[in-house]
Amino acid sequence: MGNEASYPAEICSHFDEDEIKRLGKRFKKLDLDSSGAVSVKEFTSMPELRENPLVQRVIDVFDTDGDGQVDFREFILGTSQFSVRGDEQQKLRFAFSIYDLDRDGYISNGELFQVLKMMVGDSLKDWQLQQLVDKTIILLDKDGDGKISFQEFSAVVRSLEVHKHLVTVV
Amino acid sequence: VVLIEPDFGLHILFIFYSIMLHDFTPLLTAVARPLFLKSASCIIQRDESPMEKGLSGLRGRDFELSDVFYFSKKGLEAIVEDEVTQRFSSEELVSWNLLTRTNVNFQYISPRLTIVWVLGVIVRYCVLLPLRLTLAFIGISLFVIGTTLVGQLPRSSLKNLLSEVVHLTCCRICVRALSGTIHYHNRQYRPQKGGICVANHTSPIDVLILTTDGCYAMVGQVHGGLMGIIQRAMVKACPHVWFERSEMKDRHLVIKRLKEHIADKKELPILIFPEGTCINNTSVMMFKKGSFEIGATIHPVAIKYNPQFGDAFWNSSKYNMVSYLLRVMTSWAIVCDVWYMPPMTREEGEDAVQFANRVKSAIAVQGGLTELPCGVGFEGNGSLKAEGNLQTCSYLSPAVIILKKTSKLDRK
Repeated sequence: MGNEASYPAEICSHFDEDEIKRLGKRFKKLDLDSSGAVSVKEFTSMPELRENPLVQRVIDVFDTDGDGQVDFREFILGTSQFSVRGDEQQKLRFAFSIYDLDRDGYISNGELFQVLKMMVGDSLKDWQLQQLVDKTIILLDKDGDGKISFQEFSAVVRSLEVHKHLVTVV
Repeated sequence: VVLIEPDFGLHILFIFYSIMLHDFTPLLTAVARPLFLKSASCIIQRDESPMEKGLSGLRGRDFELSDVFYFSKKGLEAIVEDEVTQRFSSEELVSWNLLTRTNVNFQYISPRLTIVWVLGVIVRYCVLLPLRLTLAFIGISLFVIGTTLVGQLPRSSLKNLLSEVVHLTCCRICVRALSGTIHYHNRQYRPQKGGICVANHTSPIDVLILTTDGCYAMVGQVHGGLMGIIQRAMVKACPHVWFERSEMKDRHLVIKRLKEHIADKKELPILIFPEGTCINNTSVMMFKKGSFEIGATIHPVAIKYNPQFGDAFWNSSKYNMVSYLLRVMTSWAIVCDVWYMPPMTREEGEDAVQFANRVKSAIAVQGGLTELPCGVGFEGNGSLKAEGNLQTCSYLSPAVIILKKTSKLDRK
C-alpha cells in the first residue's frame, strides 16, 4: 500500500506483518547497491560481522538457490528459523546445516574439520584439531558409518535447550 | 564583558516560559507516564556479551557441537539490527514525552492520553512556537546588523571586544529562542586562545551552545539560505579560517593554515567537530585525525542533550535545515549539559590516531556516551562515504573542513 512495496504473501514464515515490514526495511538498508539481494561483501561491511567466524556459513545456509547472494525471500525464510515462534526441529536443522557443507544430510569428518577450523582459527594446530574431530565423530557416530546423521546430531544437541539459544527477537 | 539584555517585555515572557518549562512540563510527563503503558523499546533484545568473550570461552574448554549457536545468534542479531545504523536515527525514549516524533512505535492507548497529547500540541504550536520565532528573528537580525557594523571598524582590540559582545548577546537571545537550558560544568577549563576546541557533534545547535559561553573561530562549510547569511555575517566581525574547495584535498595545506592560526596566541580557539557528521547523541564515533596532527593543545568538550524535552539530533538525510529548526522549536525545550575538560596534548611516542582515540574516550566517559570504533570518510568529490556500515549522507555538517573561499573573506 502507498509507496511501500508489498511483499508476496507466499513467503510463509513465522513472522507477522509488522515484523516482516521491519525486516524489509532492514533488508533495504543492508542492500547497499539496491540490487535486490545482499551479497557477502554487503554483509561483511557491518563491523559486528567482520569478527564473526560463521558469517560465510550462515549466508550459505540462507542462500538456498546457490547464487551467492541472499534475496529477500531467502532472507525472510532464513531469519524465520530464528524466530521465537519457530519450532525446535527447525532450529536443529539450521544448526545441522551449518556443519553440513555439501547438504547431503551427513556431517563428514572433513566438513566438521573445516567448520571447526573457521571457529577456532589458529588457536589449535591442525593435528590437534583433527584429533578433536576424530574423537567427536567416534563419540557421536552410533551406526558406524563414519559420518554424523541428523538423528545422531539431534540426539546429542537436543538436550542443550536449542530453543533458547537460537532465538532472535525481531 | 558587558551584556545587553533583551528588552523588558521579552524578559517577562522568558520568565513565564521558564516557569512553564521547569514546573509544568515535568508535571505533565509525570501525569502522562502512568497512562502510557507500552514503552518504546529497542527493536530487538540483544545478547550483550561481546564477541571476544565468546571466542575466548571457546578456547578455554572442550569443543561442543552446540558452539555454533553462539556465533550464529550473534551474527543474526547484527544482521537484524546493528549498533552503528542505530546511531543515525533518533534515540527512542523509554517513557514518552508527548512528542510523537520521538516515539516511533506510537499507538493509540486511551482517550485520556490523546487529549493530553492534543493539549500538548496546542501549547507547543500555538503558544511556544510564535514566541520562539519572534525571539529568533530578533536575535538573528541583531546579529547580522551588529556584525556588519562591527565589521566596518579596523582591526583593533576594540573591534575584538565589540565583536565578542555582539556574538555573546545574540547567541544568548537565539538560545532562548530555542528554549535552551544549558548547564556548564567545570568552566575553569574553558578553551583558551591559541588552542583547539574539540566536541562531539549532534546538530548545528552545538555551535550555538558553545558560542554562548565564549567566542570561537569556526572551520566550516558554508550553507546556502539562512545559514549562509549568518555565516557571512559572522565572518565580517571575527577572523575565521576558511579554505578553498580545491585546497581541501591538499591536507598539508589545510594543516599549515590551521597551524598559522594557532601560532598567533591572540587568535580565538578553533572549534572542530572531529566526528565529521551528526550523531544522535548516544555515542561518540571515531575521530578524524586531522585536527590532532597540528600539535596544538586540545580542549575537549562533551555535550549531552537530555532527550526527555526534545530531540536535538539533526538527521540530515531526512530533514533539511529549516524543517529541522521547526522541529526543534516545537519541542518542549533543549536541555543539555556541557562539560569542559582539562586540556590534553599529544604525548611522546603517541601518534595522531592514538591521541584522537584518547580524546574520544575522555569525551565519551565524561558525557556518559558509548564509543563506536567506526566513522565516516571522504570521497574524492568531498561527499561522505561510509567507513563501516553508514549511509552516505548528502549533507555535510559544518564541522567538517570544507571550504569556500572568496577573496574578500581571506584577509590575513
